[in-house]
Amino acid sequence: MLLTTRFIRPRSKQLVLSRRFRSTTPLSTLWNPTSEHAALRATLRSFVAQEVEPQARTFNEQEQFNVPLFRKLADLGLLGLTVPEIEYGGTGWTEFTATAVCAVHEELSYSDPALCLSYLAHSLLLINNLSVNASPEQKARFLPAACDGTHIGGMCMSEPQAGTDVLGMQTKAVQDGDYHWRLTGTKLWITNGTLDGQDTGDLFLVYARTGPGKTDITQFVVEKGMEGFRLGQKINNKLGMRASMTAELVFDQVRIPNENIVGTVNGATLCMMRNLEIERLGLAAMSVGIARRCIDEMKAYALERTAFGAKNLFEFGQIQRLIAESYAEYMAGRSYVYAVANALNLSTHGNGLDADGTKLFCASMAKTVADRAIQVLGGNGYTGEYNVERLWRDAKLMEIGGGTNESHHKNMSRDLRKMGSTRLD
Amino acid sequence: MKILVGVKRVVDYAVKVRVAQGTVELANVKQSMNPFCEIAVEEAVRLKESKIAKEVVALSIGPKQCTETLRTALAMGCDRGIHIQTDLRTDYMELQPLAIAKMFQQIIEQKENPDLILLGKQGIDSDCGQVGPMLAGLLQCPQVTFAAKVESHDSGFLVERETDAGTESIHIQTLPAVITCDLRLNEPRYATLPNIMKAKKKPVETILAETMGIDLTPRNQVLQVIEPPPRKDGIKVADVDALIEKLKNEAKVLA
Repeated sequence: MLLTTRFIRPRSKQLVLSRRFRSTTPLSTLWNPTSEHAALRATLRSFVAQEVEPQARTFNEQEQFNVPLFRKLADLGLLGLTVPEIEYGGTGWTEFTATAVCAVHEELSYSDPALCLSYLAHSLLLINNLSVNASPEQKARFLPAACDGTHIGGMCMSEPQAGTDVLGMQTKAVQDGDYHWRLTGTKLWITNGTLDGQDTGDLFLVYARTGPGKTDITQFVVEKGMEGFRLGQKINNKLGMRASMTAELVFDQVRIPNENIVGTVNGATLCMMRNLEIERLGLAAMSVGIARRCIDEMKAYALERTAFGAKNLFEFGQIQRLIAESYAEYMAGRSYVYAVANALNLSTHGNGLDADGTKLFCASMAKTVADRAIQVLGGNGYTGEYNVERLWRDAKLMEIGGGTNESHHKNMSRDLRKMGSTRLD
Repeated sequence: MKILVGVKRVVDYAVKVRVAQGTVELANVKQSMNPFCEIAVEEAVRLKESKIAKEVVALSIGPKQCTETLRTALAMGCDRGIHIQTDLRTDYMELQPLAIAKMFQQIIEQKENPDLILLGKQGIDSDCGQVGPMLAGLLQCPQVTFAAKVESHDSGFLVERETDAGTESIHIQTLPAVITCDLRLNEPRYATLPNIMKAKKKPVETILAETMGIDLTPRNQVLQVIEPPPRKDGIKVADVDALIEKLKNEAKVLA
C-alpha cells in the first residue's frame, strides 16, 4: 500500500529538488497568509522544478540570458504582479501583494538567482515604478508590453563614478525646446541593459539631473531605438548572477519627449523612495531562496555521504553545527522578510528601516549559508555539478547590488537616530 | 455538456513515505493533487475550451485541506467545486474505492447529472485504479480506462486506450460515461496567477460525508504495511559464462 516510486512523472527530472517537508506550525501562515499564496507557491515550485532548474547551470556557465524562459514568466502572470489594473497587464493580485512578490523571488531563486535578478529588475525596478509613479496615459503606453514580456527592461541609476552616492550622479538632461529634453550620460551595472550582448534592452527608467539643486533629479522613460541611446558594453566575467545580463548604457544627447517624464520634473527622489521598500524585500527574499536551497543540499548530502564507518555525516558534530546554525539563521531571515512583507502597503512609503534591515541581514545570511553548504559538500561542493558553488557566487551580489551593506548601515542609522532616545517597541 | 472531474488529495509524488505505527505516516507530509487527477482536470478544461463542454465541476473527498486541492482545480479552469468532507483516511486505510464510488454515484445521480465523468486512472497512494470501473458499474454506463487520447465523436467520444499489448480505439456511443486518464493523455497546465485570483470567486460547496447515508465501512482489512526490503547491491561479473551461471543458479531466472 506504499507509494510506488516506480511512478515517474513525465515532466519532472529532478526528484532531489522536490523533497518537500511541510511544517504544520503556525509559521506557515507567515509565508502563506492566504490559500492563494499557497496555490501560488505550489505553481511556482512545479514550474521552477520543471522549467527553471534544468537550464540554470548552463546559462550561468555561458553567461547567456534565457529570454524564452523569461517570457514564460509572463505567461504565468508574474511580471505584472504589483500592477493593480488588469487592463495594463496587471495580474489582478489583491491581497498581501508584497508577500506574493517575496514568494516569487524566493521560489525562483531556489533554482536560478540570476533569472530572478532579471525578473526583479524588470518587474520591480521598471514595472512597479511605472505602476506607482506614471500617469494613466504612460501606463497604457508602456505597461501592457512590459507585462506580457514583449518588452524587457530595467532601471538606470548607478554610474561609473557614482553608486551608493546616488545624488552624485552626473547624467543630465537639458530642455530642448518646449517639448523635448536631451539626455546625456553613462549608466553602469544595468540589469537587462542588454538581452543578447549586442543591443540595448527594450525599455528603461533613467534618472538624470535636471536642475542645480542636489536633489533636482528627473525620471525619464528611454526606449530602445531612440537616437543616441546605445549599449556601451555587456559586463562579462561577473562573479555570479552570470545568466543575468549586466550592461553599461550610453546616452548621447538622446532626444526625449516631455511625455516620457515619469512623475514631475526634479521630483524623482520621491519616485525612488516609493519603490525602495519592495525592491529591498525582493532582494532579501532572493537571499532567503538561496539559503533554503543550500540547506536542502546540505541535508541531502549529509544523509547520503558516509565516512569513518558512521551511518552518515549527520553523526559528526561539525556538520551538525553547519546545518543547524544555517537553519536557524535562515528561519530568522525568512520570518523577518515575511513579517515585513505582510505589513507592507505598496502604495505608501516611509517604512524603510525594516526593508533595509531584511536585506542587510538576509544578504549576509545567504552568503554564509552557501559557504557552509560548500563546506558540508567538501570537494563536491567545490564543483559546478553540485550547484552550491553557483549559489555562493550568486549570493554575494546581495551585499552589493540594490544597495550595498554600507548604504543600509547609513540609511538605518539615519532612521534610528531620528527616533532619538525613544525606546523600541 | 457538463463534466464532473474527480480530484484526489494524496501524498506528494516526490515524498519518500515512511511506515510508522503500522501504517503510512502522514503527519507533516506534503500533500498535493494526484498527478493523474491533474491530467483529468486538464482534459476537462481543454474540452471546455474547445466548446465541447459548457461546465466543469470538480469533486474531492477528504479532510478540509481538500479545499486547497479544489482551488488548484478551479485555478486550472474548473467552474466550481464540491468538497465531501471526511477525516477518514483516503489512502485505502479507512475509506476504500467502493465507498468512494458510491459517494460519486450519489452526487452524480442526485445532484449533478454530468454527461462525462473524468477521473485519474489511479491514486498514487493506494494505486488501486478501482473507482473508475466501480463507478461505471454502479451507474451502469460505458467506461474506458487508461485513456491516452479523447476526442469528441458523434454524440459520444472516441478514446484511445493504452494496454500492455498496444493501444485500442474505443467508441463511446452513449453518455454519460466514465473515462479514466493515463499519463500520456496531456500535459497539465500551470495554474497562472491571474487564474489563482479568479478562482477565489468560484464557489465550493461542502457536504459532510456522514450525512450522505452511505455505508463507508471498509470491505477489505489492511493486515500489514511494510517498507519494501532494501535493494541489494548489484555485482559485476568477469564474463558472459559467469553471468549465465549466476542467472541460472542464484537469480534462478534461467532454466
